[in-house]
Amino acid sequence: MSPRPLPQPVRISTVALLLAGLVLVGAIAPLHWATLSGAGLGVTERAMFLPPPAALRAASLGFQNVAADVIWLLTIQYIGDHILTDRNLPELFRLIDTVVTLDPHFVEAYTLGALFMNYSGGNVPGAIALLERGVRANPARWELPHDLARTYYLDLKDYPKALHWFEITDRLPGRPGYVPRFIARLYAKTGERETALEWWQAIRDSAASAWVREIAEREIAKLERQSRLPPRGKALIGEDRR
Amino acid sequence: MRIFAIALNTFREAVRDRILYSILAFALLLIGASAILASLSIGQEGRIVKDLGLASSSLFGTFIAVFLGIGLVFKEIERRTLYAIIAKPIHRFQFLLGKYIGLVLTLLVTVGVMALLVAGLAWAIDGQWTSGLLGAAALDFLALMIVTAVALLFSTFSTPTLSAIFTLAVFVIGRLSADLKLFADQFAGPGLRLIVNGMYMILPDLSRFEIGAQIVNALPLAAPQIAWTVLYGLAYILMLLLLAIGIFQCRDFR
Repeated sequence: MSPRPLPQPVRISTVALLLAGLVLVGAIAPLHWATLSGAGLGVTERAMFLPPPAALRAASLGFQNVAADVIWLLTIQYIGDHILTDRNLPELFRLIDTVVTLDPHFVEAYTLGALFMNYSGGNVPGAIALLERGVRANPARWELPHDLARTYYLDLKDYPKALHWFEITDRLPGRPGYVPRFIARLYAKTGERETALEWWQAIRDSAASAWVREIAEREIAKLERQSRLPPRGKALIGEDRR
Repeated sequence: MRIFAIALNTFREAVRDRILYSILAFALLLIGASAILASLSIGQEGRIVKDLGLASSSLFGTFIAVFLGIGLVFKEIERRTLYAIIAKPIHRFQFLLGKYIGLVLTLLVTVGVMALLVAGLAWAIDGQWTSGLLGAAALDFLALMIVTAVALLFSTFSTPTLSAIFTLAVFVIGRLSADLKLFADQFAGPGLRLIVNGMYMILPDLSRFEIGAQIVNALPLAAPQIAWTVLYGLAYILMLLLLAIGIFQCRDFR
């Protein structure tokens, strides 16, 4: 018994489906092959051809945060691509600028962007400009003045400016506990020993751990030695006796 | 009572519509996929899930509002079921309001499902509950209610295709109206500025209902501003519904 032939519409549909499949494979395979073999548009090229932030803002239909996230993911890929090879990041500033223009409150984009611009791109002024822009847009966040202070302190050795930014950080909620110690040290470094001493005494008096208290005691003793003054405690005792 | 009977019927009809489930499935898929995408970011997983989730909820909610809203009245006319309904002791405004409330109920359920999924995913990633996400979804729901009212308005006098185009255009302009005003203030001449400013005053400013950025960045929200936005949304909906009722009352169905 021979199998019953398929109805004509089914036969036509099957042939059309096979033909469409062949065309699709023929068209898609070379494109995918180009991408897989690295001949497609890479992360760097995509970063180079990125539209300006104002155009992205309009194209995102008001979903700027999503657009900022997408560019952020592209930035991560861009950094990852270059950090292990040539460590050259010429498009980094433009990428980060796009992210923070789309979402000025994306604090991590400022801090991480400045970090890579500074340590991998060697662009310290660019990193400082980016962090200062972040401070203007997010005055209540301690991370941005903190990173500015760190950059001035470690990279530029500009202690008065580092002190200025650490003092701003100290006034903001959520700042790390070590910030007052940096302020005290920076007062000493900038020659204001009396103020440094006051800071260390305040740190000692409010210390919650013995470790911090020990550091404060050590620094107070060092400053008193440097000032060639009699130790404060003994002087006070002497005054009492008189 | 009649309004609620029609609303319930519209809700039942909408939940049987396959378009609703296809759009909802895409939305849930995209929200779920955001968790995978988030793993590519450095320490920003929660942020990406929240941003993408809220945007998906808003965008797919709009699609539901548009594609179900445009057929609300037209389908009834095309199937000739409207003639049977208006022959009964029921006012035309009751019919229209019932239709609107039914679709808003459908949207409430779908947006609720999407918002809970986003909040749940964010909680799983961040390890803490962000109650503001539900607030952002609620305000976005008010924007969707405006879009639904626009779709209903067009549905009273136009074909579904044209209604879809008009409603989507209003949505796009509404999302960009703040930018349009900025553009007019900065570049346009006095004549064009007057036109753009007039459009800004007339068309809904949907960007006002977008507070996701503040929630995701943990920024403080101004309660009076939210209250004014809610009032603005409700007033706009009322105006659109009155306009739709007016047009529907004047239509001759003979």
